[in-house]
Amino acid sequence: MKHLTLGTTALVAALSAFTAPAFAKDLTVTVWAGGTNEADAYRIENIEIAADILEREYAIMGEELNITIEGRRDFGGWEEFKQGVTLAAEAGTAPNIVVTSHLDIAPWSQAGYIVPVEDYLDFDTFPLNDIYPNLLEIAAYNDVQWGIPQDAESRPFFFWKDTMRGIGYSDEDIAALPGRVASGDYTFANVLEDASKAVEMGLVEEGYGFYPRPSNGPDYAQFYQSFGGTLQDPGTGKLVLDRESMEQFYQFFVDAVEAGITRKNHLGTDWGQWYNEVANGKAATWHGGTWHYARYTGKEGNEDFFGTIEFSLIPAGDENGRANTVTHPLVYLVTKQADETDEEIASQLIKIASGPRLNSLHAIASAHLGIGQQQSNIELYAGDRWASEATDRLLSTANAQPNHLNYGAFSEAMFKGLEAAWTGAQTPAEAVADLETELRAKLGDELIVR
Amino acid sequence: MPRTSKPRFNWLGLGFMAPALIVVALFFLAPVIMTGLFAFTNMSTSTGITGGEYLLTQSNLRALENSGVSDETFETLSTTSYRVDEAGLARLAEQHNQATADEFRTLHGDTVFTARRDMERALKDLNQNRIRSTRDRKAAAELFTSSVLDERFVEETDFRAALANAGINDADHEILVTEAFTGWVWTTENVELLTSLSSSARYAMNTAIYVIFTLAFNVGFGLLLAISTFYLSPRVASSFRTIWFLPRVLPPVLYVLMWYWLTWDTGIISTFAGYFGFAPRNWMLDTATNAWVVIILINGFVGASLGMILFSSAIKAIPSSMLYASEVDGANRWQQVRYIILPQLRWPILFTSSYQTLSLLTSFEYILLATDGGPGGTTEVWALAAYHTALNNYGGNLQYGLGAAYALVLVIIGIITSLLYLRFFNFRELVSKPRIEN
Repeated sequence: MKHLTLGTTALVAALSAFTAPAFAKDLTVTVWAGGTNEADAYRIENIEIAADILEREYAIMGEELNITIEGRRDFGGWEEFKQGVTLAAEAGTAPNIVVTSHLDIAPWSQAGYIVPVEDYLDFDTFPLNDIYPNLLEIAAYNDVQWGIPQDAESRPFFFWKDTMRGIGYSDEDIAALPGRVASGDYTFANVLEDASKAVEMGLVEEGYGFYPRPSNGPDYAQFYQSFGGTLQDPGTGKLVLDRESMEQFYQFFVDAVEAGITRKNHLGTDWGQWYNEVANGKAATWHGGTWHYARYTGKEGNEDFFGTIEFSLIPAGDENGRANTVTHPLVYLVTKQADETDEEIASQLIKIASGPRLNSLHAIASAHLGIGQQQSNIELYAGDRWASEATDRLLSTANAQPNHLNYGAFSEAMFKGLEAAWTGAQTPAEAVADLETELRAKLGDELIVR
Repeated sequence: MPRTSKPRFNWLGLGFMAPALIVVALFFLAPVIMTGLFAFTNMSTSTGITGGEYLLTQSNLRALENSGVSDETFETLSTTSYRVDEAGLARLAEQHNQATADEFRTLHGDTVFTARRDMERALKDLNQNRIRSTRDRKAAAELFTSSVLDERFVEETDFRAALANAGINDADHEILVTEAFTGWVWTTENVELLTSLSSSARYAMNTAIYVIFTLAFNVGFGLLLAISTFYLSPRVASSFRTIWFLPRVLPPVLYVLMWYWLTWDTGIISTFAGYFGFAPRNWMLDTATNAWVVIILINGFVGASLGMILFSSAIKAIPSSMLYASEVDGANRWQQVRYIILPQLRWPILFTSSYQTLSLLTSFEYILLATDGGPGGTTEVWALAAYHTALNNYGGNLQYGLGAAYALVLVIIGIITSLLYLRFFNFRELVSKPRIEN
């Protein structure tokens, strides 16, 4: 009897060796998403859906793959998230997939924290060949495709329609504003004029004529571009400080304070207060992001977005500048792991999650813009007025900040200079002179000063 | 019998000291040493902390353009070509099988591709011997090139071998190895940068303002509280002290949030002043003076409580007979304070001042929470600048090395002032045996 049992066991073992999948793998994939709130949960949930699809694909090819997704998005802020990722990577315990700013690609690729997804993915295949080429380029650095854009957004200029009517605009005039801004006919000189009128006529309180973002962010690069500034020299890849544009950009904020349309101590205003004020008509003009739509119409209770707010590109500073908008897509990146197969599976997951259907779930739930052309064929996306109008009006002219190792130092210094001029601590000329000294010292050869 | 003067070494004593020594080494000495070392490196997010590898990218090529590398090397490095030659096909046969190599020879033998993407597309033309996995196909493409661009090498020797294999002149290897290294290197650049930046002088000035005024407030207000509560009945005194202790026991974020409510243009002061027709203003950020007043008060109220406790207990230690005697002699309250209490508080005051100078020099958390260095950098103190440089950067590349250089300056100032204080207080006298027991 005992012999028989042993024999049976051996037989079963031998048989199962033949019938069991050639490949069986249990894998826990951790996904860390920075700057991600409840509304952006699909950044992680799409990976979960992708895992299900990928498991099925493997099963059909006769391979058993069991993926468990562990998502995390409860970071205290961008700093905590970025420190968390870099320290984990140093310790060899990096999450498999991170959702972060495309600006992290330069330092993280240099440090070896991330691996190029192009080593694992065929960009000639769907859905990767459907992603807008300019977005794909933002996730590349040094001609290597390091990641996949996770979403797109853009940073528009906003007008409160009632206030504009109050200073004499007809409904047709207001509807023509986006076009006038785009063509360079309506510039910051007009913003200054209109916002001053709104304040003088008492339609908005003093300091609420032009109500900018209250903290540092990619938005401020837009104003530099508005006055003709360039961030990166396309030929050499070096960063560019255009002194005249920078000074004009600083000067505009000084003028805005003097005209009483912007508060001198505006920077540092509580974000919660800021959202509430702009969403409910306390400011005449302001600038923000396409994702603000969700906040204005959701938490802040603006029930008639299109009836109350007009949006456009960021106007040109003067006739030498250009209307523009910066897009600052987040990207999916795959981190270095001990086992290359883990990197491969993570890459396959983000590829599936970048399909038009899954990405549309994220785009519409969080009021972001799509990444792929086919999304206009997905009803959920195409049927959303905000997504389609914002894509049309903004995304085609959007540019991104450069992926450059020293861009962080550049943008911090640029903002410090703006702060000094805005608050009156320095004149714009002094602030630009200081900025130049600092950038020359910190960037050396990597900077072109014009 | 006279005791032996030679101190005895006691292992048990060392055992008792061990935990303290370990804590001192781990949490006090190690950070100081690490700050000192980091300050002389170019360490940042992009170099990583734990070492480096060897990688040549397009950016490196740009940097190499005017660095004395021969034109030939530069040319070799910048042209990545994929050549379907016999050597490559042999490698393909080895990695897959002969049939695959044969089929590929028929399809694309002797072709040269300039882009990796084209090479991969060519491999997709394989029909009978498909390479199904993208990853394998990518690996197969790499068999046909000797380019070192965008490839990471863990060891220097491997990198040098790859350079040789790519046919790069030996004379250029040194420059390439230096350029390709991704880790941090020792440098004095940070110190040079600190001395050349005009912002350094501003941060130093801000720090001086911050330390001097906050300290004056801390000690002055602490004294005032201690003396005034001394003359109250014990029960009232202790409840007053408890109230003044609140700023210290409140979580900083909550405490500063209450200051927001008080000072912002939508806050309590502005609302109240609004009833009298004053336009609302931000009392925290309107001008540099506003910001400084608020910061000194925020920190001052926290620091004053410590002074209050120390001074109160020191006053209680004054023999009450002295006070009674002074009253008999007709001294009023002010004379008591001036001639009895204050002279007796000399040491506690000096101790509090020195201790608080050191802690204020390096503290920045309340400033970070309240003004974050604003408006326009006017309240950016040295320690906050160190934090911003090393740990806070929207663009992602944190400058650990430069931040450590900032911190090192504070460490040096801290050590010098501590030594001065010890000398000034005559530390040896303070710890000497009381004469009365000798």
